[in-house]
Amino acid sequence: MPYRTEALAELVEDAPCGIVATDPDGRILYINGTLARWLGIEAAPDGGPDRFPQLFTMPGRLFYETHIASMMRLQGHIREISCALEVRGGPPLPVLLSGVARYDGNGSPSRFDYTIFDARERQIYEEELRGARRQADELAAIVRSSPNAILRVDGSGLIHSWNRGAERIFGRAADTTLGCAISDCLPLMDSGDWFSAAVAQCETEPEAVLEQSDSHGREFETTVAPIDGEADDLSARFYSVILRDISERKRLERRLQVTLNEMRHRVNNSLAVVGGIARQSLPQEHCQTFIARLNALASANTALAQGGVGGADISDLIAFTTEEAGGPDRLHASAASLLLSSRQANALSMALHELVTNAMKYGSLSCPDGFVEVTCDRCPTGTTGPIRFVWQERGGPPVARPTRVGFGTKMIQQVAKAELAADVTFEFDTAGVRCEIIFTPEAIDRSPGEPVA
Amino acid sequence: MFVERNNMTVSGKRDGRPIVFVHGFGCDQSMWHRVAPKFATDHLVVTYDLTGMGQSDLSAYDRKRYADLEGHMDDLLGILGELDLAGAVVVGHSIGATIALLAANKARKRINRVVMVSPTPSFLNDEAAGYHGGFTVSDLEELIAFLDQNHLGWSTQMAPTIAGQAAGEPAADELTQSFCRTDPAVAQHFARVTFFADRRSEFEAAERPALILHCDDDALVPMTVADWMRNHMPGSQLKVLRATGHCPHMTVPDEVSAAIRDFLG
Repeated sequence: MPYRTEALAELVEDAPCGIVATDPDGRILYINGTLARWLGIEAAPDGGPDRFPQLFTMPGRLFYETHIASMMRLQGHIREISCALEVRGGPPLPVLLSGVARYDGNGSPSRFDYTIFDARERQIYEEELRGARRQADELAAIVRSSPNAILRVDGSGLIHSWNRGAERIFGRAADTTLGCAISDCLPLMDSGDWFSAAVAQCETEPEAVLEQSDSHGREFETTVAPIDGEADDLSARFYSVILRDISERKRLERRLQVTLNEMRHRVNNSLAVVGGIARQSLPQEHCQTFIARLNALASANTALAQGGVGGADISDLIAFTTEEAGGPDRLHASAASLLLSSRQANALSMALHELVTNAMKYGSLSCPDGFVEVTCDRCPTGTTGPIRFVWQERGGPPVARPTRVGFGTKMIQQVAKAELAADVTFEFDTAGVRCEIIFTPEAIDRSPGEPVA
Repeated sequence: MFVERNNMTVSGKRDGRPIVFVHGFGCDQSMWHRVAPKFATDHLVVTYDLTGMGQSDLSAYDRKRYADLEGHMDDLLGILGELDLAGAVVVGHSIGATIALLAANKARKRINRVVMVSPTPSFLNDEAAGYHGGFTVSDLEELIAFLDQNHLGWSTQMAPTIAGQAAGEPAADELTQSFCRTDPAVAQHFARVTFFADRRSEFEAAERPALILHCDDDALVPMTVADWMRNHMPGSQLKVLRATGHCPHMTVPDEVSAAIRDFLG
């Protein structure tokens, strides 16, 4: 069949893949035309390399000597080894190499035949795949080794993944929890259908954060957040549920609160003792003022204790002053909740005390219909700009500009400058005294504990 | 322990002189299939897979323990200890030869002859010392990257077999490269340990007479390395085989067996 022989010869020589035959030691017996073209050795005067591994770049040569040669002898074939060919006058060509061994009558290997496929496109794709897998492996390792319980849960509350942290914390292996309802698997106390509530919250907020405890008295901070990009359809959404054991933190917070209360108590006791000494040793007229000022300090101290170690809320300070003034009918306060450092809280509290004392003696609060309007907000509102505190008296007796600077005004000026770095302006309008204090709040050192709610 | 962990097999003459075969990087004990059986008539023959290779227990591959060759040396000494062998011959190939040499230097009673097939004290060139190992650091780094490239191929093709495919399924067997298979992550780690090992000082301090078998056409170990060993290992014998490649025990097994017999006398 001459046609068949000719066609086969053409098929091999001009195949859409490289074909090489070697002896069992790797000496090249035949290279087809396709491969010679790829390698740029068609017209090479030296005829190209004489050993098969020399067709490859260095790592392929090493791999041939350490793996391929042995595999061809031991198992008679290799499959889809990814390597690169040295190309004369060009960059290396990524290829996939397969091979099969031929044997003589005695069963000894007589020839190794290889086919070589151009893998440029495949290599690009595989490189992307390897990159993606490396990234996925890294993320998986983070979840696996996290000390927190990390779960993947569907919208109806069924658990789809359960990491080692969850196994450790809750003492249940993943295979006993997958497919089960999260409320059955997490023995959390008195929290009802918390997961559905958290899912509902996630529709308007990026995450839901809750604090829960279990039957062993351990406390957890639980974060529920939709897993990005899994589904637009809400019912097909998945959620990450991360539980962090915060028992130790909560214990410290409680201890801190007890300590703070104790400190407040002691400081106020000391102030009371000082007041007692004053009563016995100072003349009556000075004694009253002095004790009132001590009380203002005690009020600030109480507010500071409630605000935690870091500072006090300005609205708490104003609330004390409201009581001093005779209740909300006499003092109309409109103040945003703003946390002050303890230094600034003390200073403002002293200023408030002087203002209210002055108003009760001479100003609007000395008349039955008089009142004070207090506003306190960021300037401008909603920004992180300075704090603007305004004290405006109304309905009092006609105001006359004072002829001398009283102790109270002097103290406000001094304390506000030194401790608040504030701009203080007094206006002695006939309708009522107005005091404006503008200052920049200090950064609050929140360590060692956050403010206790 | 080693029977399971290292797929250890013990055969041959029960009270014969023990001979232990240690394979090198890239394969497993099946590489010795045309040499080891030749010694079964008069020797106690031990073959095994290095931990992490072949059919060994992959889970035992602790990267810290095997961060250098001493981990593998301890395994070899453990095998000799478990079988309570003394005066053994250890035949190692390539990096397996280095493991054999380290063990012989450490346990003179257990090992009294070492046969090193295509050994090298270091693949890396050391220009300053005039040592030509054949490779530069970048050559070897490329090999490590290359092993990662063959990762994908491995996981799709090898996984079914590793996962415990039923025996006697020829079609499935045919599809898998059941010999010399190595988990690519382990292969990469062991490749680093192997190719960056520089044990010239231990070679120079060889405690036991060694036979060095070197192929005259070995792409991994140049003749200069064979010359270095002859000059720096007193008490060793160098025999150069006319053979191509790095694995004479596979290409010219009869000559390798004969050379070992000559050496053992």
